[in-house]
Amino acid sequence: MRHPQRGRGGGGGGRGLARGGGGSAGRGRGNGRGRGPGGVKGRERESDGGIIGGSKVLVMPHRHEGVFIAMNIKDVLLTKNLVPGETVDNEKRISVQNEDRTNVEYRVWNPHRSKLAAAINNGIDNIWIKPGVKVLYLGASSGTTVSHVSDIVGSEGCVYAVEHSHISGKGLVTMAKKRTNVVPIIEDARQPSKYRMLVGMVDVIISDVNQPDQAKILAHNASYFLKPGGHFMISIKANTIDATLAAETVYQKEVEKLQMEELRASELLPLEPYEKDHACVFGGYRLPRKHKAATAT
Amino acid sequence: MLVLFETPAGFALFKVLDEGKLANVEDLGNEFATAASARKMVKLKAFDKFDNTSDALEAVAKLLEGTPSKGLRNFLKANCKGESLAVADSKLGNIIKEKLKIDCVHNNAVMELLRGVRSQLTELITGLGDTDLAPMSLGLSHSLARYKLKFSSDKVDTMIIQAIGLLDDLDKELNTYAMRVREWYGWHFPELAKIVSDNILYAKAVKLMGDRINAVKLDFTEIFGDDNDIESNLKEAAVISMGTEVSDLDLLHIRELCDQVLSLAEYRAQLYDYLKSRMNTIAPNLTALVGELVGARLISHGGSLLNLAKQPGSTVQILGAEKALFRALKTKHATPKYGLIYHASVVGQAAPKNKGKISRSLAAKVALAIRVDALGDGQDNTMGVENRLKLETRLRQLEGKDLGRLSGSAKGKPKIEVYDKDKKKGSGGLITPAKTYNTAADSLLGQTPTADSAENSVKKDKKKKKKADAEEEPKTEEPSKKKSKKKKTEVEEAETEEPAKKEKRTKRKHEAVEETEMPAKKKEKSEKKKKKSEA
Repeated sequence: MRHPQRGRGGGGGGRGLARGGGGSAGRGRGNGRGRGPGGVKGRERESDGGIIGGSKVLVMPHRHEGVFIAMNIKDVLLTKNLVPGETVDNEKRISVQNEDRTNVEYRVWNPHRSKLAAAINNGIDNIWIKPGVKVLYLGASSGTTVSHVSDIVGSEGCVYAVEHSHISGKGLVTMAKKRTNVVPIIEDARQPSKYRMLVGMVDVIISDVNQPDQAKILAHNASYFLKPGGHFMISIKANTIDATLAAETVYQKEVEKLQMEELRASELLPLEPYEKDHACVFGGYRLPRKHKAATAT
Repeated sequence: MLVLFETPAGFALFKVLDEGKLANVEDLGNEFATAASARKMVKLKAFDKFDNTSDALEAVAKLLEGTPSKGLRNFLKANCKGESLAVADSKLGNIIKEKLKIDCVHNNAVMELLRGVRSQLTELITGLGDTDLAPMSLGLSHSLARYKLKFSSDKVDTMIIQAIGLLDDLDKELNTYAMRVREWYGWHFPELAKIVSDNILYAKAVKLMGDRINAVKLDFTEIFGDDNDIESNLKEAAVISMGTEVSDLDLLHIRELCDQVLSLAEYRAQLYDYLKSRMNTIAPNLTALVGELVGARLISHGGSLLNLAKQPGSTVQILGAEKALFRALKTKHATPKYGLIYHASVVGQAAPKNKGKISRSLAAKVALAIRVDALGDGQDNTMGVENRLKLETRLRQLEGKDLGRLSGSAKGKPKIEVYDKDKKKGSGGLITPAKTYNTAADSLLGQTPTADSAENSVKKDKKKKKKADAEEEPKTEEPSKKKSKKKKTEVEEAETEEPAKKEKRTKRKHEAVEETEMPAKKKEKSEKKKKKSEA
């Protein structure tokens, strides 16, 4: 007799489905849907790096000053939280007790969301950002990466964050309210003259604008604000510049464009496996000729 | 030549000391490499400080539009006699040229010059160190950002959340104090507590009379209005009261407490008005749909208006009933039908049976209204009012349908609810259809004049289906049976191909006039036909 069986199965299945749906809805509500557009393949819960709450981790300083690593199942990048107790995007925090009983709090830096973290994980030689440095950040969006840069440069340094969109800008301003070393600027990065009264000379420019003319944008901003001998980082998404060419070709063309504007690239680093067809270019601006000769060997 | 340089602290005017070097743009940068050489290139001529942040904001905002502010114009007029001015923005330069007749220059050399000045700014402007500039820059940037984002202090939902929190707190406090007054004064005049039930009136009465002896002489019409019953009861009870005497000092304190109660009550009324006006400003559509109080509670529950706007209608429906929701989900029971939405007037008007349906429709419209309020530009509540009308129409429809069922429908036999002794739901109560004869007991159902009777009576397993058919109505079914029937018919429907469906459709046309169709029966008719054709 198939009917009764089917009935029960159907009933159970129906209820089970509802339960699953309700359960995930509950979970979803708890989480906040930050992962929407950036989500890559499959399960994107690796942001916490596999750290289970309450587990013991060992925090060591990274080769780059101001950055730290948590030794755990997976090595996780951390920055020291400038505002202990607050997260910018619900990331995990790690508290460590010093010998003198003071607590130091670190925030997890997710390389899937932040290109700078991806570059660090992929072994960049020098990020040029360290405590006390002044940074101009173009394309700040809601401020997740900006907050980590602000952690690194500390209270001595300064981060000028430029973001054109109003919606992301609101999040940026909210984040900047808590961090006094972030100066939020809601302007188009194509017109640095519009924020010339807010920005002094900076040591590093980070550009994450993702526009076809981003080389020109970076050059223009550099001519206004980047000190001679300063450095830059630009993230290139191959598809934005030219979707028809191969990624490596696009990177090369960008490097050449930058070269023409006195922005000499020193490192080109693809961001696999964190991003597909993305690369980071690090380099210097108006580097003194003598130094160039010395390093050109 | 003069150079106009804008800082967060004010406008600076530099004089170029060595104009010859301007010709060599390339090496101009090197001139500013050290403070000493920079000082040889330019010198600070004048500095116009901003008075405060709002002054700075105004000046800079104008600058961004490309026009010089009044302060800047006066500054330039005073200091730029007979010199050309190097500016960073050529548009600004043109306007200055027009309005102030000062020649403006903007070229590569100027850009390099500005770069140089910027790099040595703190050295060139004495009295303006790094530590001064930083907070000024921060303050100015925040003000500018707020200005850009059109941050209007009217539309801050924090006010609502705090106000509603305070309202709840006040209510609690008011109740606590009022109870205290009753208890305290009850020692002296216990009967009053039963005579006057309202807290505010009680406090007023106590305040007026103090000692109960005075009650007989005084006139209580201001407090109780024309209600002579209470007044007379009061006066009677005052004379024969069993309470003890209390001293004047005690009465003084009791009276003070009454004052507190009354002032709190007054403030609560004011706060409620404030909340209403704020709600109408911040979320006019939401207020039009559900009212101020429910709207405010929703916003407060969601954390912020924007947060609330991200929730789908189904969430809005059960906001506030999370405990019941998750308990029901865990134990596989029915989930709650309404949360905070229950207190909206539209849901209150509906009959208990329809509350669930109306709550769902209302929640859907409320979700839309919230989005319009949070993310839209308009300040009016047309959308809310329209949707409110729609909802009320729908409510009338729902109730009309029930009434129609009661009095019989135009099509013929009305939908019949079968008596089911195990039915747990259906306290529907007010409007229940008439209980009729259980046609399931009648195994000759297939021979009713709805056509195709012969095929139906043939096979054995059809009997079960017939029973299932008779108990068609969605309300009555025991869940599993219905699901099984549905499943079966669904499965079989899936099996039937296009021709069967077409058959069904044509059949429908023929039997359009007949009594209420039993879709499942149809399905089985069609697949039986198919089986027959296959066989």
